[in-house]
Order: sequence, then C-alpha cells, then structure tokens
Amino acid sequence: MLLQLNNIFKWVQQGGQRVFLLKDLNLKVEEGEFISIMGPSGSGKSTLLNVIGMLDGFDEGEYHFLDESVHTLKEKHRSELYKQYIGFVFQAYHLIDELTVYENLEMPLLYKKINGSERKAMVADMLDRFNIVGKKDLFPTQLSGGQQQLVGVARALITKPKLILADEPTGNLNSQQGEDIMELFKELNNEGVTIIQVTHSEKNAKYGSRIIHLLDGRKIEG
Amino acid sequence: MLKNYLKIGWRNLMKDKTFTFLNVLGLSLAFGVAILLSMAAFFDLSFDTFHEHRENIYQVYYAEQTTKGTEVGVTCPMPLAPSLQEEIPGITNISRYVTEGHVVIYNQKELNLSSLYVDEDFFEMFSFPVLKGKQQALLAEKGSVVLTETTAKKLFGKEEAVGKVVRLLVNGKEKPFNVSAVLKNIPSQSTMTFELALRFDNHPAYGDIKDNWGNRNHEVFAQLQEGISMADIEVAKRAFTKQHFQNYIESAKRDGARPDADGEYKQLHLLPFQDRHFVNYYNGTAEVSRTYPYLILGIALLILFIACVNFVNMGIAKSSQRLKEIGMRKTLGAQKKQLFFQFWSESLLVFLVSVLLGIALSVLLLDSFKTLFRTAVSFEMVTKPLVIIGFLMVLLLITLLVGGYPAVILSRLGTIQSLKGKLAASGKNRVRDFLMILQFGIAIVLISGTLVLWSQLEYMRDKDLGFNKEQVLAFPIDGKKNSYDAVRLLREELQENPNILSISGSDNNLGLGKDGSSYTSILGFEYRNRTIKTHMLVVDYDYVETLDLNLVSGRSFNRDFSTDSLAVIINETMAKELGEQDPHTARITMGDSTVYSVIGVMKDHHFQGLNREIAPLTLFIKPDWDLYYAYVKIAPTQMMATVEQIENAWARIEPNATFLGSFLDENMDRTFRREKIMTTMISSGSLLAIALSCIGLFAISLLVVAERTKEIGVRKVVGASISSITFMLTKDFLKLVLFAFLAAAPVAWWFITQWLEGYPYRIELNIWFFLGAGLLAVCIALLTVGAKTIKAAMQNPVKSLRTE
Repeated sequence: MLLQLNNIFKWVQQGGQRVFLLKDLNLKVEEGEFISIMGPSGSGKSTLLNVIGMLDGFDEGEYHFLDESVHTLKEKHRSELYKQYIGFVFQAYHLIDELTVYENLEMPLLYKKINGSERKAMVADMLDRFNIVGKKDLFPTQLSGGQQQLVGVARALITKPKLILADEPTGNLNSQQGEDIMELFKELNNEGVTIIQVTHSEKNAKYGSRIIHLLDGRKIEG
Repeated sequence: MLKNYLKIGWRNLMKDKTFTFLNVLGLSLAFGVAILLSMAAFFDLSFDTFHEHRENIYQVYYAEQTTKGTEVGVTCPMPLAPSLQEEIPGITNISRYVTEGHVVIYNQKELNLSSLYVDEDFFEMFSFPVLKGKQQALLAEKGSVVLTETTAKKLFGKEEAVGKVVRLLVNGKEKPFNVSAVLKNIPSQSTMTFELALRFDNHPAYGDIKDNWGNRNHEVFAQLQEGISMADIEVAKRAFTKQHFQNYIESAKRDGARPDADGEYKQLHLLPFQDRHFVNYYNGTAEVSRTYPYLILGIALLILFIACVNFVNMGIAKSSQRLKEIGMRKTLGAQKKQLFFQFWSESLLVFLVSVLLGIALSVLLLDSFKTLFRTAVSFEMVTKPLVIIGFLMVLLLITLLVGGYPAVILSRLGTIQSLKGKLAASGKNRVRDFLMILQFGIAIVLISGTLVLWSQLEYMRDKDLGFNKEQVLAFPIDGKKNSYDAVRLLREELQENPNILSISGSDNNLGLGKDGSSYTSILGFEYRNRTIKTHMLVVDYDYVETLDLNLVSGRSFNRDFSTDSLAVIINETMAKELGEQDPHTARITMGDSTVYSVIGVMKDHHFQGLNREIAPLTLFIKPDWDLYYAYVKIAPTQMMATVEQIENAWARIEPNATFLGSFLDENMDRTFRREKIMTTMISSGSLLAIALSCIGLFAISLLVVAERTKEIGVRKVVGASISSITFMLTKDFLKLVLFAFLAAAPVAWWFITQWLEGYPYRIELNIWFFLGAGLLAVCIALLTVGAKTIKAAMQNPVKSLRTE
C-alpha cells in the first residue's frame, strides 16, 4: 500500500455555513497503480489531489502515506515526505520563468541538497531521456506548451518519486501534444511509478487502471 | 544554492528595470547622504577626544549670584590657577589659557598670528604631539615659543625652525623668543586652536594684575589626579572660594543677591573637558548639549528609514508577481527557511549595490558637503576599524530587518494560495499604508521645519538692528602702527574721496568679521551701593555718526570738547540700569577711581546680534586704549570700487597687513552661521525625504494601477469617465498624505516651538507653516501619481480587458 485516506472531510465556512469540499472520502492506493480522477467542475478533484500531495490540509480524517500518519506530522516533516516521494505536474506547467530549462530541472535537486556533480548527471539524464538537450538554455517562454509540459514532467520525475500527481496535465495542450504526454505517463507507470491524474477527458482517463468519480466532494461508485 | 538564488534574483531585477532603478536610486541616495551626515555628526561628537588625559581634565568656571540671578562664566583672575594648585590637593596639573593676536617678525616676514599664553603644565596635560625639538618641558624657559607645523612653515619655509629666534610685537615693543619645539598640526577636532604658544608670564598684562583677584581675562584648565573625582575636592573648593572671593561675596550680600541652592554666593565649578565643545553658558547654567550632532544623526536615520520603507513597500508590492514561483518552490520541497534566505539574499544583493553606490556618492560629494556645511570631516577620520565594524553591523541590521520583512511575508504564504496567484489582501496593505503615512509624516515635519527656519533666518537678516549695516565696512587694524595713527592716516588718505562718508574705529567688531574673532569686555562698578555691569566699547570720534546710531538725548563725542576723554555715551538699557530720572546726572566710576560722566544716551541697538537680548552698553573714548577695528561708511553708489580704494589706502598705511574688510550685514550674517547650516541641512534633508517618498509613491502607484487594470477596464465599459477613474485612483494616496499631515503637524509644532524658544527675537508661529508644508506634500504626491493614473484611466478598455 502506498497511501490510504480514511473518512477525509474538508470544508470552508461560508456565511455561517459549512460548505464541504471533501466529504467522508476513503481511498486506498497501491504501488504501481494509475488512477484517473474525474468529475464536473467544483466536485473537489483538485482539492483531493492537493490533499494527497500534502499541499493542502484537511479538517477531519486520517491520511497514511507509506508508514507515516500524515495528519499528525508537522509541516517540516510533511515537506520532507513529499519532497522525497511525490512529483507534481500542473495544467499551467508552473515553470519558473526566470530560470532556464536546465535550471528549472535542477531546482528540486537543490532543495534535496544533492551535490553538484550528481546534480549535473541527473539533469543531463533527464534532458537526454526527454530529448530536450538542445533546449536546456532556453527560458520557458521560448518553448511551446507541449515542450513546457515536457519540462514540467521531467522536473517532477527528476527526484525519482514513487508517486506523480498530475492536475489536468493536458488541459492547456492540443490533442497531439496531449497524447504524447499521456503516452509518457503510461510508459512511466510501466516502469513502476504510481500516477494519480485529474482529467476531464474520457480518453485520457482510459490510460489509467482505475477511475474515481467525484461529485460534490463525495466519491461515487461508477 | 546561493548561486541559484542570486541568479534568479538578478534576472528578476533585470526584468523590471524601472522598478529596480527606482529602488537602487532611492537606497543609494539615502545611503550616500546618510553616510555624509553621520560622518559630520560623529566628527562633531569626537571633538577633543584625542587628548590622552581627557577623562581627568576639567575647565574651571564660576557661578556668581547677582541681583538678577546666577551668572556663569569661564574667565578667571590671574592668581586663581596657582593658588588652586597650591591649596587644593588632588590637582596634578593646571594651566591658564588665553589667546591674543600678535605680529610675529622673522627676517623680512611679519605675520599676525594667534598666540596662546599657557602655563608650563599645559603640554603635560594636553596631547599635542611634538614634531621636532624638545619632547618634554616645552615651556620650561620663559623665553621659549612653541610653533605649530603650519606656522613654522609660514615663518621659516624650508629652514629648520627649532633653535631660531623670532620677535613678537607686544604693546608696541619687540620681544625675542626662542623656538623650542614644533608641534604637529592641531587636529581639526580640537576646541583649542592656536598658531604659537608662549609662557603665561609673558602676557602683556601679567605684571600689572598677576596678584589681582578682581580682574579676569583668561580660562583655566585643571587635571585631577587619577582616581580623584570632582566630588572629592568639593569641600576644599568651597572653602577656597569663600576665602579668596570674600569681597565679592560681601558685596553680593549687600546688593541683595539671593544665595544659590547650596547657600553660596559664589562657586567655582569644574566642567569635564570633553564637554567643552558642547557647552553653552547661558541663563546661569553651564548647559551641555549634544543636540546638534544628534539632530544631524537623526536626520540621517530618518532619510535612511524613508528609503528602507520604500524598499519594503516595493518589495511586498512586487511579490504578487512572484507568487507562482513561491508556490512552485514550496511544491518542490522548499522550506520556509530556504525561501526566506532566497528572498533575503536578493535584498542583500540590492543593498550591496546600493551601499557601494552610496559610498561612491558620498566620496564624490564630500568636498561640496564640506564647504556647504563648514565641517572639516574627512574619510581618514572614520576609517578606523571600530567605526568600520560599527558601520557594517548597522548595515547588517538594516538588511536583516528591511530585507527580512518582505522575505518573512513571502515565505509564509500558503502553497496552494500562492500557486493560484492570489494574495490574501487583508492586513498586508495596512502595513504598507502605515509605513507610507510615516514616510510622508517625516517629510511634512522636515518641510515645515525648513519653512520656519527660513523665515526665522530671513527675519533676523531683515530686522532693523539699530545701526547702518548695509553701508558700513569694518576691518581689523592689525599692523605695527599705533591704531589711532592708523585711523588718522586712513582719514587723510581718503579725505578727497566723495564716496567715503565717514570713518571711525572701535575696539570690537559688530557681528563676526572675516578674521573670525569675537570677544566681549564687561565692566563691573559700584553705583549707589549696587554692582552694575555694562558692556564696554572703546571708540574713536565719529563712531555714532558712522554707524548711524540714534541719540535719544545729549550729544555725541566731539573733538571740540577736551573733557570728552572722561565722558561716556550709554544705551537706553544702561540708562534703565542706572535708574536715574535724568541719566545725564549719572557718574560712572572705574576701578582706578576715574569718574566718567554721561554725555549722551543712544537708542538700543543689537550690538551682539539677535541671538541675545540687548545688554547695557557704554561707549568710552580714551586714546590710551587701543582700537582694533576701523569702520568706514561709504556712499551707496559704486560700492565695489570704493571698497577697492579703501583696500589700496590701507595697503599704503600698513603694507604688511592683510585687508579683511567686510560689510556689517555680512558680519551679522556670519553670526547666523549655525542657523544657516542647520537650514541648509534640514532643507536638503527634507528635499531628499520628499524625493524618496515620491519614488516610493510612484512605484506603488505603478503597481496599484497595474493591479487594477482589469477593474479600470470594466468600469470604463460600464461608463465611468476618465476623471472619475483618476479621482478613484488618486483618492487612496491623498488619504494617506492627509493622515500623515494630521499626525505630523503636532510633532512639528512641538519641535519648532522648542527650537524657537532659544531666540529672544523670533517670528510668530502660525498655522500656515504647517498647512503650507502639508499642501506642498499633497501637491507633490498628486504630481507623482497623477501622470500614471491619468494614463491608466485613458487607456482603451478593450485592451486592458483582453490581457486577462
């Protein structure tokens, strides 16, 4: 088991009333799964993903990641945990515009305090693998959307995470670029990386081994 | 890691060049000016600290009870110093101290030099290092003279000075002195300045008054034994005073003077020597005040503060553009600490550049700064390890605070929130608004200070002083000739010149002349069983006429009356002091029982300038007392040419003397030097404060406009006019300035009233000074934000909406 969510509740106060973002959510993810989360806008897909990625907290329930109880951890330990095991891919890529492709890839390694020569090797590996060696000195704004997302995925992968969380990774891409990214995910999953993605597209969802449907913060069996 | 931080920091700075430029410009200006100002302040504070024994040296001053209250002063009678040393245990060294101007002659050279008379102990007490000659007991022999390096160079050129004989012209006679040592030049932070030093018993008056306790003409410095404090000798000192000043104490009791808090009528006090530069003997106390250097330091800090506020505000405002980066970094595992260090190191980069530019700026501006503010400050003085370490510490503290605050704010943001690119709007703007209010408040205080200072200065300049200051030229008579002969020769030389209206002389200058010397001579005498004190002035004929003084009654001195050598003219205050119905019946007795009668009463004039109230004044005309200044009244046409003619005439009379003539209004102006410097200092400070505040305001307005572009677009689509949008955008800023005004006005009012208290003749404070300052701040703020907001308001809404 990679992670388990038990009876997760998350809400916000609005006009004296609780509006539930997540309501009594249970989820168990095994290593090597490829899960797609689907649902209409506002159903809590992204919130769930952020909770799993420990970027966001929750109000009630338990969250176990590997052998750790996330809900009891301090922020610092949580950040240690996701830094080590989780990589994020976003719809809007979220590359840092002021850094080159090479520097963007290097950044997670800096926060993991990996030494210089090793860093160099790891970045070179990634550049090679994604065929973007020629782009390494370009800034994100000089790349196409598909290329930017490729860098985004490469950045998520560079720390060799067990889990990749992707929030509509193809949302900003055209169909060909989207397909390439999904193929890439498939490939990674075959190599043993667990992937959880949020998507609107049935086609993309089919790449996964399991689909979770959300409605108003609840899981509906489908 | 640091490399990465700096790299991204650099790229961010380069991305928005206007912003970076404004930030760096503001900070470097502030640093440059703050460095200069604090250097000037520390220079002032370091006066007299170069003396090794400074902790144990004191200046003797007296406090006397008179019918009008306590009077304090530093001048002492000649027997005081030797008696003190003899009778009070604990005094290791003591020296009398007085400077006179003497003509010094060596071969063909004749120079008028300021000559210091001191006792043998002087050079043991004070650390004036010897360059050449005797290292110790410099004045062991009566015929010795000690020169400073510059004086030696002036007199001897490249020749060896030690061992040579120079002659001094004292009271018309030449006396030889042997150069025993040459001192290194006196540091500019010394309150004691002189060009040569002689033994005290050479003083021209020494023979006559060396045992006279009633006549005082010099200062006394004493060094106490190591470990002995002022309190330890208090008892002995009181007994000493009672014994030696018995006469004074008795007459004070008789006149009805009240004893002081200790029950004494006369006391000798000691002032720590280090306070000498900061002391003011005023209103019966020796007031030690270091306000002035601290004021300068305060202005430096205020300016720095304003620049730092800019930095903080701009940094926080700017951060909205970096939210995505912050969120991303957090997602990738950055901890608060790491984010803090990243943003802090960016601030450090900006600060480093600004400090370097600031230092460069201060080096460039040092010369003009020195002339503008008349300070002798130099970088050598401050490049001591301690000062540099202190400077670095202050700098580190500032960067930590100023760079740290935005860094803390940024590193605390929530991950999701910042990834979405939204800032929690609450609270943050309040800090910004508060800081901006503070900024403008400071600017308004400084502006109103400037306005009041200017008006006070103008008031003092324009005020009718009671004498003709525009047309009268005064210059020192400092040649070898007898002064009366010199004035007579001058009259003869210039007799034919129609532009010369009148010529006279006196033994004191009005205001501060080019020679920079000033002194007061006060005569105390018994009148109807009271002691009366009056300023005394020895004048030549035509003095009243030359200066256009107005006589209330009686007549001026006249050559036709042979009895005038025993006549005096007094001012109205003196007449009041004498208390006679008809002041002409009063007789003034001098110590030697010579009786003078009053022949005229003149209207009060401000002979001491406007910093003091008008005191009693008595004019004497006695050819056996020297004149020191000549006065020439000239016609208001072709004044420059006339001055030149006077200079030429003087050169024919005294070929070796330098002509140091200046008009009396210039002399009066010189007495306002302090006020002038302060005005320049505060007005340049407020100028800078306003400029810096505007830089901050401008940058913030840029950001606010950028943030609200969409809102502006929407408003225009629904029909808002350009003017209503401009008003909406500027309103917020104006509110800040208004708040600033409300907070600043009372503070400014308090400070200014305090300051004006020190002037007996001062302007009336009114609300317009403050309203004016506030209005000025509003106008400047409007101009600053106006251009940008109007431009934003005029933009095509389609364009601004499309960017979303």
